[in-house]
Amino acid sequence: MKTRLLGVAILSLLTAFAQNLGYEPDRDWRAPAPAASQSNPLLAKPQAAAGGQKLFLRNCAECHRADGAGVENKHSADLQLPVVQQQSDGTLFWKITNGHASRGMPSFSKLPALERWQLVLFIRTLKPAGSQAPDNTIRN
Amino acid sequence: MQLSCNYDVGRICALLIGCLLGVPALMHAQESPFFVTYTHHMEEPGNLEIESSSTFGVPRQGQAAYIAPYLELEYGLTARWTTELYAEGQSSWGDSAVFTGWRWENRYKLLSREHWINPVLYLEYEDLNEASRIQKEVEGGGQDLSSPNRELVGEHAHELEAKLILSGDYHDWNVAENFIVAKNFSRAEGISFGYAFGVSHPLATLASGEKCRWCKENFTVGGEMYGGLGSTMGFGVRNTAHYLAPVMSWLISDSSSLRFSPAIGLTHESSALLFRFSYVYEIQGIGGKISRLLGIRP
Repeated sequence: MKTRLLGVAILSLLTAFAQNLGYEPDRDWRAPAPAASQSNPLLAKPQAAAGGQKLFLRNCAECHRADGAGVENKHSADLQLPVVQQQSDGTLFWKITNGHASRGMPSFSKLPALERWQLVLFIRTLKPAGSQAPDNTIRN
Repeated sequence: MQLSCNYDVGRICALLIGCLLGVPALMHAQESPFFVTYTHHMEEPGNLEIESSSTFGVPRQGQAAYIAPYLELEYGLTARWTTELYAEGQSSWGDSAVFTGWRWENRYKLLSREHWINPVLYLEYEDLNEASRIQKEVEGGGQDLSSPNRELVGEHAHELEAKLILSGDYHDWNVAENFIVAKNFSRAEGISFGYAFGVSHPLATLASGEKCRWCKENFTVGGEMYGGLGSTMGFGVRNTAHYLAPVMSWLISDSSSLRFSPAIGLTHESSALLFRFSYVYEIQGIGGKISRLLGIRP
């Protein structure tokens, strides 16, 4: 009985944290053209992605997982997927700033603008398992 | 200082107050540093924030010093709807420690996107007595800071309060203004009004790549001003309490933060000084965790 309960618990946990490979973005959640065309002011400072990783773990990992793969159960975006990575920096910045309330994504406008650009910088480093790992890691 | 509790509930409250003061109070990251002014930033959906705060009142002549602690549970129901429950108490110097009541508030962000002004509607029900001194908002005329608690706890205040919160972020400055309208159904005192205004800015706007506790990015500073605007029986700033307060918040870990604000009373109806302290602890995704524990698919 105990083994069965343990099995059910492990299965539930696996289901809860399963990667959201089937993620499909909402086609109506689009950044306005001027916002989408904005470039990342930190592009010349790739080392700022380490700060982005810290912010990501603090603010985003609960829903998107630490590796950005998303959680199927939460319908959160798999940030590793090409459908996300192909979006412009400005679009990602706009989506972090405004959120998508009807899909449960909160606005992170409470973060300073540069910190949101740091998040964009870190999201660019997210790679599917097996590919090259992110270069920047938080130094303890 | 002699503390005596008038009721059993008062004793329980005093014990709770003691526990809250003895143990560092609980709070969260990148939190607004304001104690009174609300901004348009909502709690993330599924997150629970546990906050323990205290308001210390330094009296004017003829008034008693007091400490009014409160416990606040804030939950993000959706990305645009936040609900909060408060329980509060009060202890006056040379008087008793009493439970002063509870509050339930709801905030709803009207617009789904970010704009230069973001309106939020706020509605709160309060079941308090007149001994309440946490001063989460100041409205109407001044509070009775002279009468003993035994007289004040008998005077109940069932109040409905609404706020229009207008807030925006400009170059990492947050500017927020609140207009307050309150109606006490226990007394024929008309509808009372109040205001709160706040400005804040983080000390640094770029996150370092290191885990650090004392980095400038972990601190937000600012100022707020709040006060009463009388009531329908006499609108205006005459005989009302007003405070000017520098504010500071410090993110001490990914899930906890501290806030501090010394407020200066600007009128005779205000306390001379208020010292506000708060500790916030945030539990991320608690709704989902409970659902999984119970085997419910969210």
